[in-house]
Amino acid sequence: MPPVIRATDLVKDYGDLRAVDSVSLDVEEGALFGLLGPNGSGKTTMIKMLTGQVKPTAGSAAVLGIDAVADPVLVRRMIGIIPEQETPPSFLSAMEYLAFVGAVRNIPDCEGKADWWFDFLDFADKKDVLCKDLSRGTRQKLMFAQAFIHEPALALIDEPLINFDPVMQDLVKEYMAEYVQKGRTIFLSTHILEVAEEICSDIAILHKGKLLHFGPVAELIEQGEDLPSFFLSLVRKGDHA
Amino acid sequence: MLDLFLAMMKEEWRIHSTIFGSLSFALFPVMICGIAFMASFLIPIIQASLPPGYLTLITHGSYLMLGVMVGGFGLLGSEVMNRRFGQVSLLAYSARSLPIRETTIFLTFVVKDTVYYFLLWVLPFGFGYILASPFTGVPLLSALLLLTTLSLSFLFGLSGIFLLSSVYARSTTVFWLLLIILFTGIGGTVLVTAINPALFFPPLLIYNSPSVASFLLAVLILVLLFSIATLLFDPISPGSAKRYPNAFTPLSGRLSFLPDSPLVAKDLLDLFRSGSLIGQTIFSFILPLVVIWFFLSLLEGFLPPQGLIFLVAITTGIIASTMYTWVTMFDTFGPYACLPIDVSTIIAGKLTTCGILQMIPAIFIATVAILSGDVIYLIPSVVLSLSVSFYATAVMVWLSGLSPNVLVYDVKVLAAYLFLVGIAIALLTAAGYSNPDYAYLAVLLAIPSWCFIRRGRAWWNASEPEGF
Repeated sequence: MPPVIRATDLVKDYGDLRAVDSVSLDVEEGALFGLLGPNGSGKTTMIKMLTGQVKPTAGSAAVLGIDAVADPVLVRRMIGIIPEQETPPSFLSAMEYLAFVGAVRNIPDCEGKADWWFDFLDFADKKDVLCKDLSRGTRQKLMFAQAFIHEPALALIDEPLINFDPVMQDLVKEYMAEYVQKGRTIFLSTHILEVAEEICSDIAILHKGKLLHFGPVAELIEQGEDLPSFFLSLVRKGDHA
Repeated sequence: MLDLFLAMMKEEWRIHSTIFGSLSFALFPVMICGIAFMASFLIPIIQASLPPGYLTLITHGSYLMLGVMVGGFGLLGSEVMNRRFGQVSLLAYSARSLPIRETTIFLTFVVKDTVYYFLLWVLPFGFGYILASPFTGVPLLSALLLLTTLSLSFLFGLSGIFLLSSVYARSTTVFWLLLIILFTGIGGTVLVTAINPALFFPPLLIYNSPSVASFLLAVLILVLLFSIATLLFDPISPGSAKRYPNAFTPLSGRLSFLPDSPLVAKDLLDLFRSGSLIGQTIFSFILPLVVIWFFLSLLEGFLPPQGLIFLVAITTGIIASTMYTWVTMFDTFGPYACLPIDVSTIIAGKLTTCGILQMIPAIFIATVAILSGDVIYLIPSVVLSLSVSFYATAVMVWLSGLSPNVLVYDVKVLAAYLFLVGIAIALLTAAGYSNPDYAYLAVLLAIPSWCFIRRGRAWWNASEPEGF
């Protein structure tokens, strides 16, 4: 079976800065894949290239078998995305935003599904409030709902837990674990190492745009490593290299 | 406060200059200066065909309108907080992290905007006129006086519209009451005294009869207008979140005959709920056009019978094309980046929304035609206005994609826009003046417009959509 995501020698330059430097990786179906790295390591740029939001300087990216450079709209139709730091449109209410997403994605009974998400993420009392008036945490709940409302085969999510309280983090982690058990795939970018260690099946570690490590979390545990220590030693080595 | 002001100036400069390069942006005032310099040589020709004092009146009126448009664009009550304060982390936002009162920050923000746009637009224009004065025979002192009074006109426009915006954000009833009193007062004065009220405009009074006392009085009025507006300014409290039942689904359903109806429904809700649909229509469309109509009507005796209404129609078309900036100011590409939509589709949606908004200029120009007794030219005027609007919008799409509000300050973009729109206006004016029926030739603008939109959509789609 072909991988759900195949990145081959991906490079992205922003002027003189090489944000991603020749990264190749495969993500298999059913994985909860964690892309880890310090701030500015290239995680968000990787997600943007894989979802067709930015064009790679070199290399190729195939998502669900579709060329993300040649047909980014089709890729985005097939997947769910939570972009980093993006907020939903200011002057739509939370319910209207999910209805908007449903209309663009042609999701049948979108409002019924939206109601399920409002209940599940415990923000039904905010569904008629304009997005600009929502708290950061509630906006994050809304962005999480829009990424999963059409139950995509693959979701690429950038720091999805960062604004959630511990109760909500636990609920969302449980949801993601169940989601991949159904044979779907999640590509998660985070720098919360404990979360990655707890829920991810596979990880890749990026630092200064380079791929430092790529493999199953279970392998690390078998070697007696804990992810935070392994990550920190790898990054420090990378700093001194 | 000085530190904050300087930091805000730097911030505004960097926002603009990082987008299209420092040099390109720095050339913008140079180009404005060049335009004014060249236009100065036309003054003797225009002056010869106008009654004494009319050119001065029109020039001061134009600067008043420039102030109104800059102020109306940037300072629209609730929109200020949402568009200028809420979406990006600017210094204007720093009341939440620094020990500075919100009114202090807002006052500094207003002063910064005034100084910044004064340096960007007003000063270069006046300087161009001064530079040309040795060649045009205008005494340098007279040119300096004109620069002063034109600057005052700009500030009157800015402070006036700022005050009205603040009042509007507080109470729409008081706003309408104020407007009714203002227009009734002006209309009553005209009826009773038969004197043109524009002649009482303080900067014009100073120009016609300069004195330190009248200058100080004008400055005092300006300070009062700015102060009252700042005191009345009402930032939206984060706790006052309104609730809205789902209006998107029914609206999108009603518009389903249109392509990209969800995008159009979203844009219309953005416009309506931000207060922008009413605010922009009043401050950036109707008010400027009524004043322009008033000033242009002074030229009526020098134009062919259809001349005035056609001139107003073309001007309406140009201003109506700025509606494209209304619908592109609210969101970044971010919220769309997680959806299966490309830039080309978003542009198409914005254009459809603009198409719906064109009923505003159509109604306006029809009303002007009826009120000015030019009903016979109603249809060609509407055709002229809408065609010019469509063409100027298409040029804007081609040149600036989804970022017209920002790229207008790129000297290359502005020069290309002025050139392309200027040619069309010149040809249409000449055709319409020679024979009223030739105004219908304006529909031919649909051909280049279609080409501009097609090329613009393809070009901006291929560019990396970092934001707009």
